[in-house]
Amino acid sequence: MRAEIRVRLAAHRTRLIATIRAIVGAPDYRRYLAHMARAHPGVAPLSRRAFVRERQAARYDRPGTRCC
Amino acid sequence: MRAPLRLLGWTLVACIGAAAIAVLALHRGETVSAAWLLTAAVATYAIGYRFYSRMIATRIFALDASRVTPAVAHEDGRDYVPTNRWIVFGHHFAAIAGPGPLVGPTLAAQFGYLPGAIWILIGCVLGGAVQDFVILCASLRRDGRSLGAMAADEIGPVAGTTALVAVLGIMIILVAVLALVVVNALKASPWGTVTLALTVPIALFLGLYLRYLRPDRVLEATAIGLLMLAGALFAGRWVAEQPALASIFTLGPIALSAWIVAYAFAASVLPVWLLLAPRDYLSAFVKIGVVVALAVGILLLLPPLRMPAITPFVNGTGPVIAGKVFPFVFITIACGAISGFHALIASGTTPKMVTREPDARPIGYGAMCIESLVAILALIAACSLTPGVYFAINAPAGLLGTTAESAAHAIAGWGFQVAPADLTSLAHQVGETSLLSRTGGAPSLAVGMAQVFAGVLGHPAAQAAAGRGLALWYHFAIMFEALFLLTTLDAGTRVGRFMLQDLAGRVWAPLGRVSWYPAVILCSAGFVGTWGLFLYQGVTDPLGGINSLWPLFGIANQLLAAIALSVGTTVIIRMGKARYAAVTLVPLAWLVIVAGTAGILKIFSPDPRLGFLAHARQQLDAHVANAGRIAFNDRLDAAVAAAALVAVLVILIESARVWIRAWREPGAGARRLAMAAD
Repeated sequence: MRAEIRVRLAAHRTRLIATIRAIVGAPDYRRYLAHMARAHPGVAPLSRRAFVRERQAARYDRPGTRCC
Repeated sequence: MRAPLRLLGWTLVACIGAAAIAVLALHRGETVSAAWLLTAAVATYAIGYRFYSRMIATRIFALDASRVTPAVAHEDGRDYVPTNRWIVFGHHFAAIAGPGPLVGPTLAAQFGYLPGAIWILIGCVLGGAVQDFVILCASLRRDGRSLGAMAADEIGPVAGTTALVAVLGIMIILVAVLALVVVNALKASPWGTVTLALTVPIALFLGLYLRYLRPDRVLEATAIGLLMLAGALFAGRWVAEQPALASIFTLGPIALSAWIVAYAFAASVLPVWLLLAPRDYLSAFVKIGVVVALAVGILLLLPPLRMPAITPFVNGTGPVIAGKVFPFVFITIACGAISGFHALIASGTTPKMVTREPDARPIGYGAMCIESLVAILALIAACSLTPGVYFAINAPAGLLGTTAESAAHAIAGWGFQVAPADLTSLAHQVGETSLLSRTGGAPSLAVGMAQVFAGVLGHPAAQAAAGRGLALWYHFAIMFEALFLLTTLDAGTRVGRFMLQDLAGRVWAPLGRVSWYPAVILCSAGFVGTWGLFLYQGVTDPLGGINSLWPLFGIANQLLAAIALSVGTTVIIRMGKARYAAVTLVPLAWLVIVAGTAGILKIFSPDPRLGFLAHARQQLDAHVANAGRIAFNDRLDAAVAAAALVAVLVILIESARVWIRAWREPGAGARRLAMAAD
């Protein structure tokens, strides 16, 4: 019972963190890994560092991500 | 049974809203509670969202949950990611909400609370929210394409290129005017300057932390950053209290401008992980936190609006923004009513995250209503100040003079009473030597916010302590506003650099290479130098600079909105829904009228306070010091306004041709769209 609650709390925490991160525009590496595993199982995904770097570069090199 | 009940409920909302607007409009003499303005706002948004956005969603676009969105069709785990609609809502709101809706309404408060409030409410439900929603829907049906690409596809290549150049021009003016607001907030303020300067090393530390110590732990790093920001606030106070140190950090406007230009250049050439990204996270949290705090504070306190409903300045003699209430209130308040910039977001990251088509309604229309509410909150904060204090902070030194006595005298001449001693004591209460002529809106908003926060938390018994509290709240508000002004400024500079490289690369290919350092430095310097020129012009202008730059920004932003609405109208007509074209045509016509009138007045008005060319002539004739430079700046401003007007004319003519063609041959557009959807 206890363990079940703990698992559920942890799941909520993970979701909350993912939500806040998405709102401030932080990249979602888990989501990317899940997508790669599902859609391109044969392709090696980017490392976390490479992924974050690629996402940040994309975010700041074009209009459409920020406003006055 | 449920339908009549629902009808009754909405009739009630409409009646309450109408009653609140009537109270605001008819009230004279005594102060009126901010509760009326909030009630009118919420009722207007509720009705606009429930009925108007629903009509657009069902009748025009026929949003369909079973239709595949770009996020689902092209899911790649990077740009295209199907996301929960409330998360997209939050992300979209965080992206569209910047300093704009805070600054514009504060400046427009010189006309009284009523003109600004009416424009914010009507402009949002019939204009701004419609634009955001329509562009989002259009982009959703076109693989998440950008506004520029849609202008090129739907209208023609000339329109596409014009839209691109217009965006670049607006970025220059936007960044310059935001920098000027920061300069006016920090000049001769060691506390504010030290606090803001410390945010740079804090961001650098967070950047290194996120890269080497705890990679990608964004929330943890931001929490540390927020604590350090609080420390910076107290460090600033400590420095301001040490006379020797304080004098080092008491900077004039030109020195501050130089620092900001250098900072923006660094942000444009340094890697994003080091400075830009950590600042952005920090700023996003501070932004959402402060907007929520301001809303809660105003709800708890419900301050009285001390500004009259309409001031005598509607006749064009206003000290904050030159020109009559028509057309100038409509360009002073852009973000909050309608902002062309939102169309870039609604066709940028947002459409690539929407999972189901119907989600576009709360995201496109709903988020804009919330942004509009933020503008109403800023208007309340500005109008809750005593009018005398408001004008002392927002009128330029050229009109107020430089002492509390001369300011009080000038303000009395405008019909508002304020004692010189009150101005001095308020400045001391917020921890500054003077608040006179801190134009640009940020400082008066900070005073308003400080009074709201201190009013909610302060005990009447502890007045002395509250005095110190007011100073902390004031500098907290200044830090937050400057933080998020600078975050728009540095990201804007970087985007501007990329756009310039893109254009330059068409002339000579190597200039377009984004990782070739000579090109990066050259284009960064080019972009920074251009807005730096406008900034320098602003800080050396005896009328404060905001007077000339903010209207220029307003005109440019409204013209970008006109481009977006032209694209929207074209999309609607091509879908075969020409009978609903008025939904975008009416706000388009209104924007062309107000921005066109304002642009022509700013260029050609014979009044030197208003017209750029008349001012240039007056300065040259009077042989004032630096007349040549001032005249050059005026003519440059006139040229920018003219270029914006020409850009919109080009887009309108190109669009009209497409509309007429689609009208004559109604099937063509629908067929084309059906093909595009397949």
